[in-house]
Amino acid sequence: MTGEFVPGLEGIVAARTEISLVDGANGRLVYRGYVIADLAEDMSFEEVAHLLWYGRLPTRAELDALTLELAGSRLLTRAAAATLNALPTDADPMDVLRSVVSVQGLEHRLEKPTIPLAIHATASFPTILAAYHRRRQGLEPVKSRADLAHAANYLYMLNGKEAPLELVRALNTYLVLLADHGMNASTFTARVIASTDSDVASCLVGAIGALKGPAHGGAPSQVMDQLEQIGTPENAEQWMREARRRKVRFMGFGHRIYRTYDPRARILKAMCERLNPTFFALASKVEETALAILHEEHPERPQATNVEFYSAGVLQAIGLPKEFFPPTFAVSRVVGWTAHVLEQVANNRLIRPQSEYIGPEPRKPVPLAERI
Amino acid sequence: MVALYGSVHLSFVPEFSPGLEGVVAAETAVSEVDGANGRLIYRGGYLIEDLAPVATFEETAYLLWNGQLPNKIALETLRRQMTSARRLSDSARGAMSALDAQTDAMDTLRTTISAQGATKTLTTPSLEEAIALTAVVPTIVAAAHRRAKGIEVIAAREDLGHAANLLWMLEGKEPSAERVHWLDTYLVLLADHGLNASTFTARVIASTGSDLTSCVVGAIGALKGPAHGGAMYAARTMLDKIGHVDNVEPWMQKAHEEHRRFAGFGHRVYRTYDPRAKILRELAQTAAPDLYRLAARTEEVALKILHEAHPERPNATNVDFWASVVLTGVGIPKELFTCVFATSRVAGWTAHVLESLADLRIIRPASLWKGPQPGIKPLPLADR
Repeated sequence: MTGEFVPGLEGIVAARTEISLVDGANGRLVYRGYVIADLAEDMSFEEVAHLLWYGRLPTRAELDALTLELAGSRLLTRAAAATLNALPTDADPMDVLRSVVSVQGLEHRLEKPTIPLAIHATASFPTILAAYHRRRQGLEPVKSRADLAHAANYLYMLNGKEAPLELVRALNTYLVLLADHGMNASTFTARVIASTDSDVASCLVGAIGALKGPAHGGAPSQVMDQLEQIGTPENAEQWMREARRRKVRFMGFGHRIYRTYDPRARILKAMCERLNPTFFALASKVEETALAILHEEHPERPQATNVEFYSAGVLQAIGLPKEFFPPTFAVSRVVGWTAHVLEQVANNRLIRPQSEYIGPEPRKPVPLAERI
Repeated sequence: MVALYGSVHLSFVPEFSPGLEGVVAAETAVSEVDGANGRLIYRGGYLIEDLAPVATFEETAYLLWNGQLPNKIALETLRRQMTSARRLSDSARGAMSALDAQTDAMDTLRTTISAQGATKTLTTPSLEEAIALTAVVPTIVAAAHRRAKGIEVIAAREDLGHAANLLWMLEGKEPSAERVHWLDTYLVLLADHGLNASTFTARVIASTGSDLTSCVVGAIGALKGPAHGGAMYAARTMLDKIGHVDNVEPWMQKAHEEHRRFAGFGHRVYRTYDPRAKILRELAQTAAPDLYRLAARTEEVALKILHEAHPERPNATNVDFWASVVLTGVGIPKELFTCVFATSRVAGWTAHVLESLADLRIIRPASLWKGPQPGIKPLPLADR
């Protein structure tokens, strides 16, 4: 009955899902049957959230209802706002998000996960991040604007003024692209927690913790760090070859599943070229060099650029500081997390795998007095 | 069904084991649940029934973290490290006082640990952090309890061990040696248990390179679930509802007819009596004699009914059933049961995270697509 240990559970099926499919062989990401390229430019984040939660695109009336519900759930509870203000202003925004989400969901106690709870949680993420962003600068939080959609309102609350349409559209596309991605580590974390019949806040807090890891959502800010070190396109080749000799990993390359160019990276790359030409000039040169070096080292491996690489340029163009890249990823992915939590509880079974014991055979303990 | 999974299109449908039952997700030396033989082995190769009589919680935690039992000097060092890490940071205290006093203690624990670990830069999990996190849990549990009761929070006492200090901070008076022993035994028994859902959660989070606080916060969230750490509370609640020895048989029969599950019975891994339940059952006789009689009768009837219904299933009593009786004897209110479980298991969570660092690989399983055939074109909003 017990199988072989597969490191990282690679290739092990952990769930049946109809939310998203990462079709790595063909370089397709599919949400509920729709290929991401068909959704990215034309759909609002709200429409895609509806698609992921309810399984279909909304009608006009359904979209209006969801938009209203989201806009009406943005306010932080008193306890959540107080928690936010208790945290140090130099804390990692991911830690702040983790701590405040833990409080914001409290009013719901041990309620079974539902779509309204998913909506409430999703609505609160931008409020938390914007309030913290402003607190760090010694500024008061900005009240949300019910007439602004999710992406536009996030930028409005961050900056206290309406963002140009081009940037709102860019953020919206980013949020659509990142909303779900199969059984990634944070989504899987949320499903494991949901499988114990725990609540939505617990699932989200766990998922945020997983997303924080550099091997997952923490990567885009590291892409930025690396690009800053490289500095100019002319410097790329020399810096990168030298880095490679020191076994430095190139940030933003490689993915366990895609065997082709990540379809999200393709869209983000085009956006970068338009919105952030300075970044693009450096990044595209770094990409070209990285792919060439990686190919020389491992011609057999499909070493494509991953979504984090060009995400960094888009989020920078939007005006976000790099430590806000991972939590903005969470602003999007919370939709996928909650959709998966709902799918998990609809047909639940406790996720409790086995381990293989590699310790010594049973023996008797020595009493404290006799231990050396 | 289209067999699409992960990166590959397959001509067959890959096997899917719901709940990852039987799937090996990690190699570990921290503990082994030998379900077939009813054995729980802690790091170093110690059977739980051999360890429980000779080791305190601190010694057990040391064992899980370091792979060997401490000698006197090492134990003294650990005790000092733990006592000096019992204080909450300003942000943790601030977060806790932001919460409504009636907040579920597990929510308070999850939030306060998260705030305690809110730092500027990402840190790699370390033994020092594992010790500090383990040391601070009782402080939060006791404070949550006293806030809920509207009484003043009490500072830790440096001369008291982990179990005794928890009782001290809860009650504000020195506990009897007997009660400390019962609680300490509970903490030793529950400190680790293979890849249970919360430990697995911690390992998945660690696999992304995240920090130890994130791992523990996620694990607390998983432990909160009634199908995991909430089981003790459910067992105690069931015993409360039954109320009296004479009421056991009719209550259980009725519950069975109404297809309600008996809390405290059944386990995915053990095929025999859980070795921890055996030890706790013994303790329960002296720790809570009245409740013991009710529980023993309940167990007898439950096992009889379950055996009649499913003679093929090994429906043994699980650890939560007898733990709920022992913790009652210790004087822990049932609203705190899951938190006391966390007080113990945090040693295991952190030991697993530290172990996983040696060969970190992101845990990212595959999923099986059961949605529509990819490539449907979206209708524009106006046409929907």
